[in-house]
Order: sequence, then structure tokens, then C-alpha cells
Amino acid sequence: MSDTSAEARREVEEFQRQIGTLREEIGKIIVGYREVVDGVLSCMLAGSHALLEGVPGLGKTRLVRTLASAMGLEFNRIQFTPDLMPADIIGTVVLDETPDGKHAFEFRKGPVFANIVLADEINRATPKTQSALLEAMQEHHVTVGRTTHKIQQPYFVLATQNPLEMEGTYPLPEAQLDRFFFKLDVPFPSREELHTILERTTTSSEAEIQPVISREQMLGMQALLRRVPAAHPVRDYAIRVLEATHPNGNGAPASVTRFVRTGASPRGVQAMLLAAKARALFDGRFAASIDDVRASARPALRHRVLLSFEGEAEGVRPDTLIDEILNSLPRAKD
Amino acid sequence: MRYRAALRRLSAVLPLPLGYACLALATLKLFGPRPGWERVVIIGGVITFATALVLTLVALVRKPPRWASALALDEHHGLFDRVTSALALLESRETQEPLARAAIDDGLSVAKGLNPRKAVPLQIPREFWVSAALLATLGGVVALELRSERVLPDPPSFEPLVLSNDDLELFSEAAKQLGDRSQDPEAAAAVRKFNAFIEDIAARRLDRASAFERLGELEAELAESAELDREARELGLEGLSRELQKSPLSKPAAAALEQKRLADAQQALKQLAERLQDKRRPPSRAELDRLRGAIESASKASSERLSALETRRRELQEEKKSLLNRKKESGKPDAEAAKLEENKRKLERLERDQARAEKAAKELSELDRELAKAAEDLRRQNPDAAEDIRRTAEELSKIEKNELSEQEKRKLLQRLREMKELMRQQGKADSERQRQMRRFGRKARGGQGEEGDQQQGQGRGSGKAGRTTQVEVVPVPRITQRTTPGGSGEAKTEGQAGGDQPGGKGDGAGKSAGKGHDANIAGDPTELKGETQAVSAAAVDTGEGSASAEVIHGAAEGGFVGKPYKDIYVDYQSVAEQSLEHDQIPPGYRFYVRRYFQLIRPRE
Repeated sequence: MSDTSAEARREVEEFQRQIGTLREEIGKIIVGYREVVDGVLSCMLAGSHALLEGVPGLGKTRLVRTLASAMGLEFNRIQFTPDLMPADIIGTVVLDETPDGKHAFEFRKGPVFANIVLADEINRATPKTQSALLEAMQEHHVTVGRTTHKIQQPYFVLATQNPLEMEGTYPLPEAQLDRFFFKLDVPFPSREELHTILERTTTSSEAEIQPVISREQMLGMQALLRRVPAAHPVRDYAIRVLEATHPNGNGAPASVTRFVRTGASPRGVQAMLLAAKARALFDGRFAASIDDVRASARPALRHRVLLSFEGEAEGVRPDTLIDEILNSLPRAKD
Repeated sequence: MRYRAALRRLSAVLPLPLGYACLALATLKLFGPRPGWERVVIIGGVITFATALVLTLVALVRKPPRWASALALDEHHGLFDRVTSALALLESRETQEPLARAAIDDGLSVAKGLNPRKAVPLQIPREFWVSAALLATLGGVVALELRSERVLPDPPSFEPLVLSNDDLELFSEAAKQLGDRSQDPEAAAAVRKFNAFIEDIAARRLDRASAFERLGELEAELAESAELDREARELGLEGLSRELQKSPLSKPAAAALEQKRLADAQQALKQLAERLQDKRRPPSRAELDRLRGAIESASKASSERLSALETRRRELQEEKKSLLNRKKESGKPDAEAAKLEENKRKLERLERDQARAEKAAKELSELDRELAKAAEDLRRQNPDAAEDIRRTAEELSKIEKNELSEQEKRKLLQRLREMKELMRQQGKADSERQRQMRRFGRKARGGQGEEGDQQQGQGRGSGKAGRTTQVEVVPVPRITQRTTPGGSGEAKTEGQAGGDQPGGKGDGAGKSAGKGHDANIAGDPTELKGETQAVSAAAVDTGEGSASAEVIHGAAEGGFVGKPYKDIYVDYQSVAEQSLEHDQIPPGYRFYVRRYFQLIRPRE
């Protein structure tokens, strides 16, 4: 074993340790949700954003708040409402009195200026406000007037939306959905998990979250993730999965041809591969595998596969179509 | 990997030829073979099987997808593509990256304990069960025996052959007459069979087909028997004639025998017997020796011929056996077939000759015995030889009688043929005509019964027998005819209507013909210069007899019953038969003539 190899092994082991610590800390507050937590962590490590979807009361907001606390990062929460204006989230220029008694315009930063932003019930805001968030999410900076204000790294936007109450909401447009690395479904907790939740939330003792990862450590982990190699067969598999999401793509099953209007964008395959790398690191491996790609396919593609009218009418779920694709595609290209 | 791919491909494509075989076989079983199908089915089968084979071979020789083996190894051992990644990264330019290096090292470290055989097991693909099911179906189709429902035609309804009572009576009477006259047991048996046949028709136990069949059998039997009789007799007599020719004493008898004049031959033999007993002009010793020799060889001729035929028959039987053995040994069905066929023909001919010779020997056995006895007596110079020859002549008379029985058979055969023709013609006639014929039959018997009445009607046609026409001779003035009185006058008791002998003299007519004759039988020449007397005769109807025309008319009106009609009928029929025999009458018309006379025949 060479020195470089040993150094890499040490880096991976350190990554695993830090992630383990982070998971433990989160686990003090959040019961279960291993998949969701790993998904959110993958998004963070990939330097991107996640959309959490679930019914109210499942602990979405709490999860994000806990995550922020465990990382020691600045956290802001924006409750999206229909009357929320873009300036309300990105900030505004105000006339302020200087110490010398003069008056000057000063930019007051909005809630998007934080390391972790929770955009709660994002679909309740108007598209105009939703779009204001887009620049911040994609470009990691905000432009007000003629001045561009950078947002400190790492920067994560974790948006939530309620799938039930669609009245008076503004569903996110496809372009905006595509900005999200993952769309994570927050499931209902199991009976055992509910017992634990009750124990923790209905007694006087409440766990305190300590920051276990510094900002720098997080940036280092992000850099390590990008260095994880993905062999050609693995990349090829991810690409074939992406192609199969298109109605006329290679290897697309009949159900995709029938029920899908538009397949996933290249951001989808990027997300799959980065998430695969994250999973490899989580497991202490040095390269992403096809199994990692398969495990990442659902959260990376489910919000990028747009159903046709027939698919909507039939009540087809994108997860079902993605499963069909994964089952039909051979691991090796014929 | 290739074997697995080939097996999977085989499982995928095997249903094609198996399905085709099932379909083709089922179609053939359901609809049966059609012209040209066999070729199409075979070509289709060859194409489908060849396609499946080629596709399987292609899968076998085709290179498996890149990384497929490594991925299979990783998947089987749960390595999360470590080996694949290591191999792929080794090929790429990322080898120098620390994490890539670590991934390669990691892959190489786990590669040692891998088992490719377990990673790519040669297992039966899921698709194979489709082929197995099709194979089972094919077996089922092969074993399946379709029961096709064939609608059989309804059995033909029995329609009895119906002949009118009149015709049945005609044929049974004919058979009875032949039976009464016949002395020959064979002829009597034939007549009995014929009678049974008539009875079956009368009882309506036979339909047309079976009636024709029985008739054909009877006819063939009779024809063969009659022909055999004739041939046998001629054969025997021919041999006898040939041997008797050798002696001058028996030459006349031989000549008569050669010409089949049995009565003359009989007479010639009697004369020979007398000659042998003639003391005044006895035959010489040499003549007697030659006669003895001739008679001796004549007596042996039949038995010698019979033994020669038997020898030849045995030879042919042996030849047949040897040919059959050779055919069996060679194993070829065509081998010796021609020779066997020829042998069969020869045997048949010989058996017929043998039957004829046996019949001849049987028929002439008494004659041969008498001849042998005569030859022995002649050798001993015994005077009984003449008596033996006389008895030989008597045997010839018996043979003549046998010839008569043969004629009876021929008559019966003639009747059979008439009946056959009648049945054939009856088949052509429509039902209306048949009804007319039955009505005619009843009427011909003088019957009044309705159709279907089996009882014969009472005849009412009875012509007045002995109805005479007296001829009165009326002298005509100035014309005289000198007649010379004869020794006895010929009187006509029954004149012809209108009178045909004007010269007859009624007075003093005797009842019987006179005896002797006048010396001047021709009489004096007619003196033409003398006074002549014109004589005219006019018939007078006395009401005591009837003319032929009246008899026939009466028969037609009242039925063909009665003696006068019978006499007239016999006259007319004999003339008709002569015409049929000698004149050029087309065969088709002969039936109608004979049928006409059958219908108008006198009834009792």
C-alpha cells in the first residue's frame, strides 16, 4: 500500500468518524429518519439543497434546526406565506443614521444570509418570492440594486412543503425544483419511533445539541467528496438510468414511455453520482459503486421526472417508474 | 459467461421452433394432410430451427459486455463494485489520485478470494420453462389422437325386387319342365337352385343388387358346368375316335365319333359287333389284332391323359414352391414375380385341363371299361368280344343322353339370361309402366283382380273349338273341268275360310286318307279344247269354328287361355324363333320379340 493510498484511507476514516459523530448528535433529537438524515447530509456535502416533503408535524423543521446546531452553523428559518415579498427574504436597503449624524442607505441582510436556511412551506409563497430564493440557492449570492452580496459558505437551503394542503399554494415550477439536489420524502414514524419521540418530548428532560463539526471541517468534507472517484462502469450506469427516465430514451421501460412527459435533466445524474460518492464515503469506501447510484436514484430523480397527463390521471408515482428503470437495466451495458 | 448467455439465448429462442412444431402438428392433425403442405411445413420447420440454432451460436461466440464479468463478481460477493472500480480506474488517468489509488489497492486486496464459478453459475433461465411447457405440449399433440366424427350415409333401404306373378309363373313353369325332364343330377341341382331363386323373388326377399348377384352366380355356375361337360365329352370322344381310327374295322365308328354323330357311331359299333359274329366273312387275324390294339389304347387313353396331367401338375406345384422360396430368400418383392405369375397361369390352365380330363374319364369310365373288356376278349379270341362291343354302343347312347342333359342346362341358362334381361329392362321402366305390365299380366290370365291381388282371375276367354267352315262348290256355267277320279278322295273336314281348294268335291268324302294310289297318277293332260266349267267356291260360316284372327282377338280381349290359342301361339312362336335364329335381327330387339311372346303365351 502506497503512502498516498494510506493518506486517502486516513482521510476517509476521518470522514466516517465525523459523520458518525454528527449522526449521533442529531440522533439525540431526531428519532429514526436515517435515510432522511443521510439524504440531507449528502446534500450538504454535495454543496446543494434539499426539498423535504411530508405532512405537518413530522419534525422536518426540527431536523433542520438540529442539523444546524450540530454543525455550529448560522441558521435562519423563513416561513413562507403568500404575502411574503422577495425583500423579506433577501433583505432590503434602508436609510440609516450614521454615528456622525449623517444619513446613509444601508443594506439590511435578509434571512437567506445564513449557512443553513429553512424555507418552510416554500410552496405557499408567490412565484416571485420563490424566484428570489433561486438566485441565492444557485449562485450563492444576492444582488440588490447594483450591489451583489455574497453568501457565506457552506450554504444550504432546506425547503419543506406539505403535499396535502394544496389550496392557496403555488407549486414550485420545474426549473425551481431542478435546483434542489434531492427531494426527500419524510415518512411517518414507526410505532417504536413514536414511543421514543413521546419519551423525549413529553418529559422535562430535553437533550442539548452541541456543535460537533466546524464550518471548516464541513468544507473539507465537501472537498473530499468531490475527490471520490467513480469508475467508468458506474458513471455509465448512472447515465443509462438518466436516459431511461426519458420517454424515448435508451432502455426506457414501457411505463416510462407511457406516463412520463419529460425525463430528468443532467442535474439529475450529477446529483445521483455525488450522492453515490457520499454514500461510498459514509461506508468507508474509496469509490462510488452502482449500488450507491441505485440507492441515490429515487431522491435525485423523483422531482425531476415530470409525469404526463395520463400519468397524473392514473396516479402513477415517479418512485414506481424509477424502480422499474432500476429493475430493467442490466449492470453491465450490453 | 458465454455459456450462460448461450443458455439464456437458447431459452429465449427455443419457444419459436417448438411453438411452430406444435402449431404445424396440431394443424395437420386437425385438418389432415393437404397437397403441398408437407413441403411447406418442413421448410418452415427447418427455417425456425436453423434460426434458433444460429442465434444460440451467436450468443455463444459473442464477446460478453465489458466489465460484465467483474461486475458479476462484485455483485455475487457483495463488494460494491470494488473490483470493477479498481480495474476501470487502472485503465483511466485517475490512477495518481490518492482516493483512486486507494480504491485500486482496495479492489486488488479483495480480488484474491473471489470465485468466478460461483459468481456466474450456469443455471436454468426462467424462460426455459416456456420451452419446457411447449415441449410438453408438443408431446401431448403427438400423443393426441383426434376422433373425427364421420357421418356415415344411411344404410340403403331395402327395396325388394318385384316381378309380376305372370313372369314368376313363366320362369317357374320353365324350371319345372326342365326339372321333370332332367336325368342329370347336376342339371337337377341347378334347377333346384333356380327354383329357390324364383321363390325368394316371389317372397320379396331379394333386392335388385342381390338378385343380380344370385343370378350371376347361377349363370356362371351353369355356364361353366355346361361348358365343362361339352369340353369333357368332346375330349373323351376325340381320344376315342383317334384310337379307333387305327383299325379299319372300327374306322366307320371313329369317323362318326369324330363328327360327333353319336347315333351313327352307335350304329357303326353294332355293325362291327355283327361283323365279328359273322361266320361267313370273319375278320382276318391281322384285322382283329389291329382292332384289339386300337380298342386297347382307346380304353387306356383317358387314364393315360389323366396321369400325364397329374404329373405335369405336380411339376408345376414344385416349381411354384421353389419360386416362392427364392423370392423369400432374395427379400425383393419384385424378384421372381414374373415367373410366379406365369407359373400361376400355367397351374390354372392345367387344373382346368385336369378337371376336364377327370370329368371325361368319369363320363367315359363305363365305355372305357367295356372297351377294355372287349380288347381282352379279342386277345383271348373269346366270342364275347362282339357282345362287349355291343355294350360299348349302348354306353354311347348313355353319353348321348348326357348330351341331352347338357342341352337342358343350356336351356336353363337361356332362361336365366332372359330373366336377367327382364330384370334389367324392368329397372329402366318407370313405375307407371311397371303397373301397366302387371295389369297386363292379370288380364292375360283372364283375371279381373285389382292390382296387388294375388289370386288369379277366372278366365273367360274360351274360343269355340272345332268351329268349321264348310265350303260349297258352285258350278260355273261354260267352264268345265274334267277331273280324273282317284283311288281315294281327300275330304276336307275343316276348310279354310274362303276355301283354298276349289277343285274339291264334297260328296263321298272319306274320313281318313285313302290307301294306295292311282296308276295314272298324273291323269290325262287337260284338254283345253274341251268344255270347261267355271267353278267358284264360297265359304259359308257355319258358326262351328273360329278363324285364327278371331282366336287371337278373343285372346286379347279375354285372356290367353284355351287350346286354340295355344295352337296358334306355338305356330307363331316357332316362326318367330326361327326368324330370330336365322335372320339378322339386332340383339336388342330380340329381347322385345321374346318378351312379347312371353307376355302373350297361353295360360292354363
